[in-house]
Amino acid sequence: MDSKDDIEKIKKENEKLKFINENKSDLVSVSAHQLRTSLSALKWTLKMFDDGELGNINDEQKKYIGKAIESNEHAIDLVNYLLTFNNLEDTSMAFDFKKVSILDILGKVIDEFYGELRNKNIKLTFIKPATDIPDVKCDKEMITVAIQSLIENAIKYSQNNEEINIDLKYDPKNNEILISIHDQGIGIKKEDQLKIFNKFYRAPNAIKKETTGSGLGLFTTKSIVERHNGKIWFESSRESGTSFFILLPIS
Amino acid sequence: MKRVLIIEDDDFLQGLEAKKILNSGYDVLSAQTGEDAMKKILEPNVDVILLDLLLPNFDGFEILKKIKENDKTKNIPVIIFSNLSENKDIEKAISLGATKFMVKSNFSLEELMEQIKKLI
Repeated sequence: MDSKDDIEKIKKENEKLKFINENKSDLVSVSAHQLRTSLSALKWTLKMFDDGELGNINDEQKKYIGKAIESNEHAIDLVNYLLTFNNLEDTSMAFDFKKVSILDILGKVIDEFYGELRNKNIKLTFIKPATDIPDVKCDKEMITVAIQSLIENAIKYSQNNEEINIDLKYDPKNNEILISIHDQGIGIKKEDQLKIFNKFYRAPNAIKKETTGSGLGLFTTKSIVERHNGKIWFESSRESGTSFFILLPIS
Repeated sequence: MKRVLIIEDDDFLQGLEAKKILNSGYDVLSAQTGEDAMKKILEPNVDVILLDLLLPNFDGFEILKKIKENDKTKNIPVIIFSNLSENKDIEKAISLGATKFMVKSNFSLEELMEQIKKLI
C-alpha cells in the first residue's frame, strides 16, 4: 500500500470515529433530557409528600421521603454533570467564546441559591468591585457551571448560620479577573488537598457531612477553568474554612 | 382570577404543575400538543404562559415566535420550562422574547410559583 492509500484509510477511519463520537454525544444528550423528565416528576412528587400536600405522613415515612429526595437530587446532579461532561469531552464541539459580564453571571448564580441559603440561614455577601470590570471572553454556559459548582460546595459544606463571602477583583496590569469564594465550612484536610480535583474523589469529611455527591464538581470546574487558560486553586484550614480562587484572563 | 396556560406534553408533569398552580389560587388552562397550544394561546385572560420546548411534532420555539408576533398575545410573559439547558437554546428563547428560562429538574414547584407570582 502506498502512502496515498494510507492517508485515505486514515481519513476514512477518522470519519468513522467522528460519526461514532457524534452519535454517542447525541445519545448522551437525548438520554439525559429524558432522565431529567423522570427525575423532575420524582422531585416534585416527593416534595409534595414531604410537605404534607398529599396527606399526612408519619415520622418514619418522612424520614424515608427525606432520603429519597436526597437520592433524587444526587441523580439530578449526576445528569447535570453528564451533560456538562458531554460538552467538555466532545472535542468537535468548540467552546462558545463570547464577551460576557462575569458580574452578571455571578449575580444570576447567587440568585439561584437563594432558597438553599435561606434554608441554612447562611449570610452570603457579594463584594462587587469598586471599578468597572471589562467583559471576559469565555463560554458563558461553562463558566456558569464552574461558579455554580464552587458556590454549591461552599453552601453544602457550611454549617447553618455561617457566612460566605464572594469577591470579584480586576487586575488591569495583567488584564485578568479573580473570583474568590470564601466559606467558614468544614475545610479540606491536608491529606486530601492533593486529591481534591481528581475525578470521582470525595474527601472523607465531605462524605460524612453530605453523604451524596458525584465527586465530579471540582474536576469539571478545573477542566472548564483550564480550557479558558485560567487557574484554579484553594486555601483551606479546619479553623477558617475554605477559599477557592478562579483567575481568568480577560481575553 | 389570574390564569396560567401550561403547554406541556407529559401528562404527569402537567398534572403536578397544574395542581401546584391551582393550590396557589390561580386558574389553569392546559395544552398538551403544539396544535392545541396554538389555539389556547389565543384564549382571553391568559396572564402567564408556561412553555415546554420539546412537544410531539412541534417545536416550542415556533409557539414562542407565534405568541410574540401576535399583537393580542405579545405582552403575555412566557416562562420556558424545559429540560433543555444548552446555551444556544437559552439564548434563542430569550432573543425570541421569553421572560425566563427554567430547567425543570433544577427547580422545585415552589420556585416556579415564585416566578409566576412575580410576573402576575
